[in-house]
Amino acid sequence: MEPREPKTGDSSRIPAIVDRDVYFDKEGFLYDFEDWSEELFRVLAKEAGLLEINDQHWRVIRFLREFFAINGRAPLNRQLREGTGMRLAELESLFPGGIRHGARRLSGLPNPEDCR
Amino acid sequence: MIYLDNAATTFPKPAEVLTQMLETYRRIGVSPGRGGYDQAVEAGELVEQTRRKLARFFGSSDPDRVIFTANATDALNLAIQGIVVPGDHVVATRLEHNSVLRPLHHLKRQIGIEFDLVPFDKNGFIDPDRIGRAIRPHTKLVIVCHASNVLGTIQPAAEIANVCAARGVPLLLDVAQSAGMIPIDMQQWGVRAIAFTGHKAMMGPCGIGGLVVMPDLEIRPTRFGGTGVDSANLFQTPGFPHCLEAGTLNLLGVIGLSAGLDYLEKTGMARTLQHEIALLEHLHHGLQAIDNIRVYTSPSYGLHTPVLTCNIDGMRSVDVSTILDGDYGIAVRAGLHCAPLVHADLGTETHGAVRFSLGPFTTREDIDNTVSAVAAIAR
Repeated sequence: MEPREPKTGDSSRIPAIVDRDVYFDKEGFLYDFEDWSEELFRVLAKEAGLLEINDQHWRVIRFLREFFAINGRAPLNRQLREGTGMRLAELESLFPGGIRHGARRLSGLPNPEDCR
Repeated sequence: MIYLDNAATTFPKPAEVLTQMLETYRRIGVSPGRGGYDQAVEAGELVEQTRRKLARFFGSSDPDRVIFTANATDALNLAIQGIVVPGDHVVATRLEHNSVLRPLHHLKRQIGIEFDLVPFDKNGFIDPDRIGRAIRPHTKLVIVCHASNVLGTIQPAAEIANVCAARGVPLLLDVAQSAGMIPIDMQQWGVRAIAFTGHKAMMGPCGIGGLVVMPDLEIRPTRFGGTGVDSANLFQTPGFPHCLEAGTLNLLGVIGLSAGLDYLEKTGMARTLQHEIALLEHLHHGLQAIDNIRVYTSPSYGLHTPVLTCNIDGMRSVDVSTILDGDYGIAVRAGLHCAPLVHADLGTETHGAVRFSLGPFTTREDIDNTVSAVAAIAR
């Protein structure tokens, strides 16, 4: 996907931790799945209020990234539940911002296109 | 699965509709009205028979003025773009779906039309007098969403049509959410055109809908092509329905729509709606008893479709719907529902809301399970 527009206010911060410009959409989702790194995740997580990253967080993040890398799309809801071994209500409370704006966004998956 | 997204499309479709589609299409699935062989003639007759059924169903006098389209959005575009010209003014409402809002905004930018959008009251209803006050000397058309896909409120169509008639302006009613749910009588109400879809309460498949136009309303063709008749004419065939129907019809969709009409006649719309509204009240009662729930739907169900929209405080609507699906197997619709101005007026334009829309196959147990699931999520 072609980069389109930088997230407002982020252009000067991101190059400090990665070696190239990273672009976000207006809701803070990465435009390019490949721009994600553990270092970037830690920065974005801290910015979102996730100060302590534990094994559960990593399990979710790794599942989402692996699934997307293999399938080219985000998991279905039941696949997310099966793949993480968590109820989605639990997952929602695990990440500041919930499932979409928390887990999915911090995993570097693209912003889903739906009616919102 | 507990399916509560019937305002998007009814699911499942009745078995007899699906069976009829398969059997009839297997037998006469050819190009309707385009050939002289028996199957083409039979297919053509089925199309004309469906026009007659639809004309009766909607209280229209002329089956030829039943135009098949892909859906309600397609029908609305056909009507709006075929009626409005540069410099015209249109009145619509803030309840409208993007199927109306986007054509109006594009026509404003492309050809310089003007429009005004009448607000709804705190319960989600349009005051007919406000429609009247918005009409100007150069108003060419009034468009009203008969039933809101977000709030479920059914507008007083006959009163609005009266106001429009008094000012000499045609009323185009978007009945995407109401057709097949409540009786619609164009003649009696004085509605000059309706746009409907076949895949919601009319119980047909996706991909078929229509525009029904009364005899005193003219609509310019905006699409051109084959009609199966008058082929030597290099311009669009004049006269209804051909002037507005270019290309081969969706015969499978027409068969399904016809079967859907038969199903509605057999089951009875009033009885189905009564069942759905009783369950809606049960749902409303259950959700209101939960802390942290904000219900946007009016508690008065006298003029309502079975739709309830709400939010859980502190949660994004999309996450609520994800949890309902993933943890409880309950399908609902979150977001803006393609009606951004309704959400702007509700104050939910940023994260939308969760919509529960009930259907003929929804059960009391479905509602009990849904209320329990929401209560657990909101805890």
